[in-house]
Amino acid sequence: MKRFVEALRQSRMLLAGVVLVSAFTVIGALAPWVAPYSPSAISGDTFERPSRAHLLGTNDAGADIFSRLVWGTRTTLVVAVCATALILAVGMALGLTAGLRGGLADTVVMRIADVFLALPVIPLLIFIAALAGPSLTLSILMIGLFTWPQTARIVRSQTLSLRQRGFVDIARGLGGGPLYVMRRHLIPALGPVIGANLVFVAGVAVTTEAAMSFLGLGDPSAVSWGAELNRALQNDQITLGSLWLWWMVPFGLALTVAILGFTLIGVALEPRFNPRWSRAQT
Amino acid sequence: MNRIAEPAPADLDRAGTTVAEGAIDLLVTRSPQRRSRWVAVGAYLATVFVLITFNFALPRLMPGDPIDALMAFGSPNYVDDDETRANLARYYRLDESLPEQYLHYLQGLARGDLGVSVVTNVSVTEELGDRVGWSFLLIATATGLSMLIGLPLGVHSGWKRGKKLDRGLLGFFLAVQNLPIFILGAVAFVVFSAQLGIFPSGGATTPFNEYRGIAEVLDIARHLALPAILMAFDFLTYQYLVMRSSMVSELGSDYLLGGRAKGLRERRLKYGYAARNALLPVVTVIGLQASVAVGAGLIIVERIFSYPGVGGYMFYAIGTRDYPAMQGAFLVLTVTVVTTNLLVDLLSRRLDPRTAS
Repeated sequence: MKRFVEALRQSRMLLAGVVLVSAFTVIGALAPWVAPYSPSAISGDTFERPSRAHLLGTNDAGADIFSRLVWGTRTTLVVAVCATALILAVGMALGLTAGLRGGLADTVVMRIADVFLALPVIPLLIFIAALAGPSLTLSILMIGLFTWPQTARIVRSQTLSLRQRGFVDIARGLGGGPLYVMRRHLIPALGPVIGANLVFVAGVAVTTEAAMSFLGLGDPSAVSWGAELNRALQNDQITLGSLWLWWMVPFGLALTVAILGFTLIGVALEPRFNPRWSRAQT
Repeated sequence: MNRIAEPAPADLDRAGTTVAEGAIDLLVTRSPQRRSRWVAVGAYLATVFVLITFNFALPRLMPGDPIDALMAFGSPNYVDDDETRANLARYYRLDESLPEQYLHYLQGLARGDLGVSVVTNVSVTEELGDRVGWSFLLIATATGLSMLIGLPLGVHSGWKRGKKLDRGLLGFFLAVQNLPIFILGAVAFVVFSAQLGIFPSGGATTPFNEYRGIAEVLDIARHLALPAILMAFDFLTYQYLVMRSSMVSELGSDYLLGGRAKGLRERRLKYGYAARNALLPVVTVIGLQASVAVGAGLIIVERIFSYPGVGGYMFYAIGTRDYPAMQGAFLVLTVTVVTTNLLVDLLSRRLDPRTAS
């Protein structure tokens, strides 16, 4: 934590990223209080222009666009948090197993990771969502299922290098069980590297969910930025007048800024926590 | 002379260098270096097998079967008759056991048979064959465009490492590296096609046109322009980042010092020596990008602009619940992705003895 505050003070990029992501987190958490209307309620005529009552006008169903924008933040956050947690769990479990057990377990896990890494994720997600019927849970599960290999690889290589340093052997020699060594020695040492990786993963999860719902394969009942962008694009009225200015642009901007936030944090953290960095400096 | 060797102090630059180096690591050595060529081929075959099996198994794992979709209430094929249903099941071999079905499916694939579209009753292989060309044209144009811009930018930026222009470009491309293509795509479509009418609003040619010769080429180019520019923008970022970082790693090399001592011109050192040596990892990245694009960008861009390629076909098939067409498009897209990856891997081993080791 102290290291993080230090880093925050040193890098403006990190600070900007953290501010952006925190802002979205607050807006998402407080959605019911920030949004003036329910996102699905018919709160006005269809296609109203922006006014004091409707900051960004209303959409084709007469729902308040600003409220949908605010509630969409929540969907984005839910996906980011759940998918990242899932990837963390799977990636840690498999990466630690491969790194600690070595031998056959290592080979098997890493070969499976190779195959998963080579699979084209977006077509697979589209295929599965088209067959199974889209839902938010499915999106999260699928994103987790296809994004873990990168995290697992990082955990494994870090574990391997930590094992070389002796303190793991000493702890084992003094009678520490594998779970104890993992909890007490490995996970704290792995923390920063995995933290930096997870920020990237969260960004990937947000992008993937947005792309899926933009393609019409997200949860039809969830209010999502990607889905609203698609809804606007599919509507004939979008080509007339300046409706796109307040119906499409805000959702595109929100997504851009959110992804930018994750990218900034990732770019700023990487050289600090990436073991490759020390090598690159010499 | 020291200029090229001195490390840039800027925080931004240091971060950028590592991220771009990370990108190289991720893209170029995604198959770890010590892996032999045969392991790479083995992993490729395993992946193709997994994809084929997914393609076979996933529709069968889902609730309902293709006939339910075919006979769904409200579909033009709606039949509420058990005998017809049984006949259909026999026709599509759904009455066989799963292993038998799988065997027949593999046999069909070996003959290049992807089944028959439920909607058009035309062989899926044939329908896809008509569309592969358009997708290829789109990707090739986008790759060419992005190389034209991204590579010179990367070379120049890396050569002038730490200078104002370099820092500006690097900051920009680092910030936009993860932006999904569909945001810009959707807005560009509305602004340029719908509002301003500069570009046509979809398709690859004007329907029912009678253009010949130059006019026909122009018509195709007009339809191609906007989707290709968007895709090129998507490619540009990584090409720039990798070209720049590869260029930076050449700075301070002995051969540059030697060339300088010999009195070679700056231009010659920059393009004839450093850029030529720095190009290798970029070639790999360009190849891998094409494969990533087939997997994601192509589907999205073709959907926004109703471009009649394989990705658009997949979406049409999903909309009409045309299972054989969906499976065919999925298989063609995914197998193209992994095959391109393998070819790039093998090519980079051949080009660069260091990766082959």
